[in-house]
Amino acid sequence: MDIVNNVKSSSHRIRNSIATVIGIVALSGCATNAPQDTWQPKGDNAQVINNLQWIIFPMAGVVGVLVFAFAAYTFWKFNDRGQPIPSQSHGKPVVEIILTIIPALILTVVGVFTFRGIFELANTEDTEMVINVTGQQWWWEYDYPAQDDQGITQPIISSGQLVIPVGTKVLLRETSRDVIHSYWIPALNGKKDAVPGRINLLRLQADKPGIFAGQCTEFCGLSHANMRMEAIALSKEDFAKWVANQQKDYTSPAAGSLANEGEGVFLNQCIRCHQVNGLKKADGTPALAAPDENVYSGAAPNLSHLMSRNTFAGAKFDLLRKSCRSDVWDASSETIGAKYLAGVSESCLNATDLRAWLRNAPAMKPMYADPAKLGASGGKYRGMPNLGLTETDIDKLVAYLLTLK
Amino acid sequence: MSSNELTLTPSQSPGLVKSPLSISPSGSLGAVRRPVNTTGWREWLFTVDHKKIGIMYGCVAFVFFIVGGVEALFIRLQLALPDGRILSADKYNQMFTMHATTMIFLFAMPMAAAFANYFLPLQIGARDVAFPRLNALSFWLFVSGGLILNASWFLGGAADGGWFMYAPNSGPVFSPSNGVDFWVLGLQIAGIASLIGSINLIVTVLNMRAPGMTLMKMPVFTWMILVVQFLLVFSLPVITVALVLLMFQRSYGATFFDVSQGADPLLWQHLFWIFGHPEVYVLILPGFGIISEVLPTFSRKPLFGYPFVVFSGASIGLVGFGVWAHHMFASGLGPVSVAVFSMATMAIAIPTGVKIFNWLLTMWGGKIWYSAAMKFAIGLVILFTIGGLSGVTHAVAPSDTQQTDTYYIVAHFHYVLFGGMVFGLFSGFYYWWPKVFGKMLNEKLGSWNFWLMVIGMNLTFGPMHILGLQGQPRRMYVWTEARAGEGFFNFGFWNLVSSIGSFVLSVGVLFFIINVIKTTRNPERAPLDPWDARTLEWLTTSPPKVHNFDRIPVVHHLDEFFHRKYVEDETTHAMTQIATGEDLMRAEEAAADTGIHMPGPSYWPLLLAIGVAVLGMGVIYGTPIMVVGALVVLFSSFGWVLEPSVPEPIDFDSPSTDGHTKEIAPLG
Repeated sequence: MDIVNNVKSSSHRIRNSIATVIGIVALSGCATNAPQDTWQPKGDNAQVINNLQWIIFPMAGVVGVLVFAFAAYTFWKFNDRGQPIPSQSHGKPVVEIILTIIPALILTVVGVFTFRGIFELANTEDTEMVINVTGQQWWWEYDYPAQDDQGITQPIISSGQLVIPVGTKVLLRETSRDVIHSYWIPALNGKKDAVPGRINLLRLQADKPGIFAGQCTEFCGLSHANMRMEAIALSKEDFAKWVANQQKDYTSPAAGSLANEGEGVFLNQCIRCHQVNGLKKADGTPALAAPDENVYSGAAPNLSHLMSRNTFAGAKFDLLRKSCRSDVWDASSETIGAKYLAGVSESCLNATDLRAWLRNAPAMKPMYADPAKLGASGGKYRGMPNLGLTETDIDKLVAYLLTLK
Repeated sequence: MSSNELTLTPSQSPGLVKSPLSISPSGSLGAVRRPVNTTGWREWLFTVDHKKIGIMYGCVAFVFFIVGGVEALFIRLQLALPDGRILSADKYNQMFTMHATTMIFLFAMPMAAAFANYFLPLQIGARDVAFPRLNALSFWLFVSGGLILNASWFLGGAADGGWFMYAPNSGPVFSPSNGVDFWVLGLQIAGIASLIGSINLIVTVLNMRAPGMTLMKMPVFTWMILVVQFLLVFSLPVITVALVLLMFQRSYGATFFDVSQGADPLLWQHLFWIFGHPEVYVLILPGFGIISEVLPTFSRKPLFGYPFVVFSGASIGLVGFGVWAHHMFASGLGPVSVAVFSMATMAIAIPTGVKIFNWLLTMWGGKIWYSAAMKFAIGLVILFTIGGLSGVTHAVAPSDTQQTDTYYIVAHFHYVLFGGMVFGLFSGFYYWWPKVFGKMLNEKLGSWNFWLMVIGMNLTFGPMHILGLQGQPRRMYVWTEARAGEGFFNFGFWNLVSSIGSFVLSVGVLFFIINVIKTTRNPERAPLDPWDARTLEWLTTSPPKVHNFDRIPVVHHLDEFFHRKYVEDETTHAMTQIATGEDLMRAEEAAADTGIHMPGPSYWPLLLAIGVAVLGMGVIYGTPIMVVGALVVLFSSFGWVLEPSVPEPIDFDSPSTDGHTKEIAPLG
């Protein structure tokens, strides 16, 4: 655990040096760099929480040790060794009052720090960037409104992986299109529910470039376990490149290529729900997805720059093969930006999972996608159905999707 | 009522009381002739005796404990390894929903009701509860509710929305099977049971205490049960409202939680947790009550600071109504609400801490006897303290936003509920078993039972602290290696330890069952006062007589029974024994009351509960069934009203030739 580097002020230093001793003993068995570790803050908001954790956990630990030591001594000392039946004393009010006041005082101190932390985390006034985050069964959509000072001149719609610039105070405006979900990137902040009909605010800020794992943490039905996400923090320069790429115009694959045939399959099947910005039908009119006609929540992931992300289907599956994935995920904060921006090349594509998904999505991730069992939702899917694509169609589609850089 | 009184002499066993009455059945009042047979299975089905009802509560609750435990084992099997394949996502979601629902509503609450039913009247020196037939109705409604909840497994799948059943995920679109309907109806019916029971016990405590037993001379177990009943009276209506709204949404097209119609899904969360948090204390306070009897008995000292324990229990109950939103720190309540509920939650730690200190100080200076009951009581003190301390870490709201909905919370509340409540209940089993069944549970097996449960419980739930802090969320049917971390001590290791622990825990519970079987087969009777106990329930035979006490005791002390056995030297404060339990019992029998009349058995509680269950099924399966249920309810209500609570002389058969009645209401 990177405790010492996180110390920000001298008061923290004193507190943390005591806490470190206890903490290292307690946590030595579990410091394994789990991607969702709640004790490894990588930004200001998570740091505020971590500072509070370093107050309350050691305090609870010390109280626990004292109580257990007293208990153990009592168990040993007053074991029945044939002593006479003790006098029937009913207690001492002075002791009671002292033992009431001590915990009250401890908790008052904790309360003061807690109070400060709550309001510090709720502050949104100095926000530098806004992203709308919408949960639905079982994936996250990100909508970056146009913000000139971030170089976003037209809205960007993405899903699964949230891309943010480092050192920037980002405000997520969360809501949901169906049930309650909860957005949680432990390295950047605590969780905040995405509640349908409401907009909840959550601030994120990353200190350094990196990939930070997350998971939906409000039970949201069948595939709750498969609703994951990542936040990718890029340097400001890399973020500008990412924005530029997302705003790049669409180009059709060269005529006669496999990918071009794949575009045809896409227009025939996928466009019913999935949008690719700039895609045109054969007659030259814009191809517009209509997920609201087919999906209960009314949305499906926008696939415009699919291969600029490295996960798909609610971040359950990797778009990158294992070796390519670890090349990106394990990269240092200096090199991760370039590696992430490289996107998914044909040689790095995790074709196995992508093809299996296209072949029969509900077999890969539990969803309400059996056409015979959609009575309750008025015939609309919750999730992606089996499209009955042929292997040839899948070949073409994969080739096409690879062009969506 | 004097004409109804039967003569009882102490030498006669209740079933053989001579009836002075000559009766013809034709003149019986009511819808049908009331049952007077008190033998065989009828003795149990139609009984209104608080002790029989208590035993039935205990048996049924224990069966549900096994059911909920097996569900837990399925969950741990599924999670032992990454990408588990034992259960499908759908089945897993049903499994964790029903595990919680079963353990809370069908095991913990009714098991506490079993102890309350059996011992509360005995502890206050009463002959039964205030409303014996209502007591039977509570039990049968609980059975109906439990059966309906579990019937869903065989009728299209159980509820799959979690025990908290958050809207809108519980709505007809998002949970299309009938599982949630069964859940809604089962819980409404079980809720009626608890509500009736709570009113019954409140009236019993307030009106039926023995002469001299002021509220501040009442045993702490009875006090905690009283606090729990007040919590139930005020919290159950809230969940009932929520359940009715949900029922109307699911079955009759209402839109209380339908966001597209302008509903706010947070309404459900507030209603649920205004019930749900007091419910936590409903679960834990009976355990506190039990060990507040056990610790003094086996330390041979009165409870340290009795008034502080009583008032801290009452204030936990009161403040427990003001902390519900700490379950919603991530819901977006706004910083002011979060801050207020965060502070209130810390405040509730204070009376809880007082209790822990008082228990430890009860043992301090004592003469401790480590019986199985005592071991479980001490287990509660230690394990609950761990759960309490982890609780304080998420009273700090920002810290909670990292912990909530992770396994850290699962660890926390299992230390509180399994370590707290279940250990308390097991302590009660060992302590009161000789009282209820007249036989001693085996202490050696009890020790195995205890140590395996302690080790199993810590292996199961201890690693969950680490898993949660490493970021493993709850309610996920699989966990993935992609999020498991590096090295040996990653998710894989701790999940496996937890799963192995759950089986150790099960073996521990198995030792209890073996102990019960062994004890039942053992012909040896328990001594009258095996623990040198302190409270009034020991001032009667084991098992107690049908009428509980030969004469109603007059109370002069807290721990009346103890003070009848021992006198204190005024100057040295040394205690000298002047009588044994047997001596006291002989004195009671010699001065036994005559003419004790007890309430008679009745068909109506059982029939009414069946009617309510059928009525509930009608909500799912259509109006005709509802009409049948309604008719049964109506018929049994009329029958109930027309039947006097104490049998009329006319209801007894004429004496048989040998001079004894063949059929007789218990002392009726």
